[in-house]
Amino acid sequence: MSFRSRLRHIWRIARWEVSLGSTSLDRRTLLAGVALLLVAGGIVGAGLALGVEGLSPTQDIYRVGIDDDSPYYDVVADDAALSPREPDREKLETGELDLLVAPAGNSGTVSLTLDGNDGEGVVEAGRLGQSTVSVAHAPTEKGTAALTTFRAAVQGYNDRLMALEPNETAAYPVSVRLQYRPQSSPTGTRGGNSSDTDAGRDDDTETESGDGANDDENGGSNEGSDGDQSTDDGTSDESTDDANLDVDDERDDPDVDDEGGSFLDGLLSGGNSQGSPAEISPPFPFSSLVLAFVFLVPMNFIIQAYGGTILNERINRRGELLLVAPIRRLDIVAGKTLPYLLAAVVAITGISLGVGGGLLSVAAVLPIALAFLASTFVGAMFARSFKELTFVTVTVSVFLTTYVFVPAIFTNVTPIALISPLTLVVMELQGEAVGLGGYVFATAPFFLGSAILFLLGVGVYREEDMFTQKAVPLKFLDAIDARLRGPKSVAIASALTIPFVFIGELLAIAALYVLPIEITVPLILVVIAAIEEVAKSIHIYAGIESDRFDRSIKTALLLGGLSGLGFFVGEKFTAIAQIVGLPELVLGQATLTPAGVTPATTLALFLGPLVLHTVTAAVSALGARKEFRWYLVAMLAATLVHAAYNFAVVSAYV
Amino acid sequence: MIRVSGLRKTYGDFAAVVDSSFEVETGEIFGVVGPNGAGKTTTLKMLAGLIEPTAGSAEVAGFDAQNAEMRHRLGFLPEESPLYQDMTPTSYLTFFADLYDVPRSVANERIAETLDRLDLEYRDRRIGDMSKGMKRKVAIARSLINDPDVLIYDEPASGLDPLTTNSVLEFTRELRDDDKTVIFSAHNLYHVESVCDRIIIMNEGRIIARGTVEAIREEYGETTYHVFSDIDLPETDPTSDGRHRAVVDSMDAVEGLQDAAAAAGGSVVDIRTHEPSLEELFLDLTGRQMAGPRTAAATAPAGGRDADTAADTAVEPEEPR
Repeated sequence: MSFRSRLRHIWRIARWEVSLGSTSLDRRTLLAGVALLLVAGGIVGAGLALGVEGLSPTQDIYRVGIDDDSPYYDVVADDAALSPREPDREKLETGELDLLVAPAGNSGTVSLTLDGNDGEGVVEAGRLGQSTVSVAHAPTEKGTAALTTFRAAVQGYNDRLMALEPNETAAYPVSVRLQYRPQSSPTGTRGGNSSDTDAGRDDDTETESGDGANDDENGGSNEGSDGDQSTDDGTSDESTDDANLDVDDERDDPDVDDEGGSFLDGLLSGGNSQGSPAEISPPFPFSSLVLAFVFLVPMNFIIQAYGGTILNERINRRGELLLVAPIRRLDIVAGKTLPYLLAAVVAITGISLGVGGGLLSVAAVLPIALAFLASTFVGAMFARSFKELTFVTVTVSVFLTTYVFVPAIFTNVTPIALISPLTLVVMELQGEAVGLGGYVFATAPFFLGSAILFLLGVGVYREEDMFTQKAVPLKFLDAIDARLRGPKSVAIASALTIPFVFIGELLAIAALYVLPIEITVPLILVVIAAIEEVAKSIHIYAGIESDRFDRSIKTALLLGGLSGLGFFVGEKFTAIAQIVGLPELVLGQATLTPAGVTPATTLALFLGPLVLHTVTAAVSALGARKEFRWYLVAMLAATLVHAAYNFAVVSAYV
Repeated sequence: MIRVSGLRKTYGDFAAVVDSSFEVETGEIFGVVGPNGAGKTTTLKMLAGLIEPTAGSAEVAGFDAQNAEMRHRLGFLPEESPLYQDMTPTSYLTFFADLYDVPRSVANERIAETLDRLDLEYRDRRIGDMSKGMKRKVAIARSLINDPDVLIYDEPASGLDPLTTNSVLEFTRELRDDDKTVIFSAHNLYHVESVCDRIIIMNEGRIIARGTVEAIREEYGETTYHVFSDIDLPETDPTSDGRHRAVVDSMDAVEGLQDAAAAAGGSVVDIRTHEPSLEELFLDLTGRQMAGPRTAAATAPAGGRDADTAADTAVEPEEPR
């Protein structure tokens, strides 16, 4: 069968899949859905056009009696929860008003209850400009809540006014610039704020607040600068635009302030570095959250449809006729997958453009989409019903979302974030360059893992497996077994588990690195050992359980040895991690150094992992030749040996 | 056209098909009969390349059954052929024509001709809205879309009304006239007897009889003689019409009865022969089989495949269709 013919078949099946999808959806439902979207879009659009910022459940719930000419009128009018009304003391007593804002001279004329005590009705006095007013609230819980809201509204109003002040130093007498530095930076600090400030203080004691010095002659800048530092009233050569405390090398600092990107990106950016302390937030986490959400939401819909169509082929043996047609199984799967992959690419491209991303964003999220599809495909091949499929797709969604979402939050904090392709998107939006090594590091496990998952699923896309009803774990073992041939295939299978091992280990690092390092390192060493031992032995167990391999000790030792060898060879590919510097982390060393990929290792350290992997895999294989319970026991023993080895190497090396 | 030699399929310890061997000539309608679980469908699916045999070989139209090229020469109609409900017969058949690389103009002509022959009127109606018989006709049309040399029909008339059944059986007979080779499996032995040139009877994975229906009857069936006399004899039973009947299995016994009746002062008034039907033969043959263990170990041939190969497609024992 020629390649061209195969492509033609794939394309034909893809077209057929699209037509099936479009015709199987009830037209009325489709029309109703479109109409609903149009109505919802129309409402939102009309609201935006009319300047409605949004609806709030607390809209105008507090009635405030206040004069139009009161300096607090704008405060009340601007706050969504407060509604200005005509001031009337009687209405406050009768409960028709919740709050009364009156000139200070009128205070004390209303008897109200405050905090359960009878007394003076004047409960609040404030200053706005030169105005002094008294504020009284109704003797109800709502009145008290209205007062709290009023206080917050005044504070927010003042902050907004300060932000508009052209003389920034006057508005913010003390200015502190936050610098977020990578956890693995040479300073070795986590967070790094205090260190950076100290470093700046040591190196640049002559630095002065530029804005205040240059723009304002009233001395505000001197008040704003650190009084302990010797200053020269703002004429320093190193004066910068806005920094009061400089840092030693800004080239290494991540650019917290995002000046690039789209309007939407600016809107979503949570890395606020200016304003009152309450308004300053860590760099970019909110943006990462929203990006992850936006990219992953359409994928969830796509995998639902995709999983459904795959399972549909398995119900009532519907897919049997395609299997008997002169087409390869791989081509059938490719044809059925293609429309969903294209839909994902279109969605990714649209979203990338919407958030101000480019080709890199598309290239970064594409492997995530592939991983979604590949996992769903395998899940749909294992599921016995749509109920089980739902469980599978939810599991896939939760796992992959966690994997790409959590690390991306720490884009500017730690290089571990690069285990998520979504981090590449965040970096692109921030204007940071991404090297080829970084791209490969973040996406290769996804590409390879997806390819292997598809191959695993295609292996059971055949009459004998598609239509049988087995529990998902047994199907999983069948799928592995379907890819095994002779003992050599055990070694290949072990090598092919590397992408999943890599993903699992990096996820473990990402999840555990927040713990104290004294706890994290030993814990990770054990988790990593467990992941690798499972990867090296699960296919041996599958092969023995299906009677592909006999249960003799000799065979078990042979399979264990081959599995260890295959895993060792495959593990060498993890050397790519060095390209992006992950091994520079202590935890990275803990993960990757035991594998012996560091150039400085000796021959003994090179051979050590080989011996380790073959021995521990053989231990697990010996357990697998008996039954599942013994397999677990043997694998636990292998894990302990492996973890002890890891700990010894890390202790000696790090 | 079809050569099967030592075909064997095991699922773990369960042997679904045990050392089947047979040949089918071009233009022949070849029946495969047997009770549920006899291994008929597993055999047919191995011939269609859907199931990989554990041992033995199956050659169809000059190709190994596992060769993808063979499928261009094969039309397969499974026992259950759920169609895509939202397609029309025309779009469904056109889709499969594309997959079989049939040029569109040829496909259009063939679809029209086949649907005419099958007397299927509603060609642009949604398949989901069609009756079971009409759906079956669409499935049969699909099996012919690539103008195959070999057709494998598994229970083609299952669940159909008598009129549609006759139509399907007649259509199958016509295929012989088109020089198609048909393997035909059915539970209804009357259908098999009326359509097939030769048959094999399978039971518990093995072929227990083969040949034309007549030959099988001759080989395995017993012609019995119903002898009616006007006098009561020790070997006879009374009948409702006042006569006495004995059932014997040889002419010698008949002559013995005649002599005994004459000696007793009576005579034999009627002798009737009875040939067993295929159904009786089938029940007789399959009921005669020993219900021994049907395991791969118990049925393993000498010099069979090694464990590695045998376990190649091992899955949980499945009740073969």
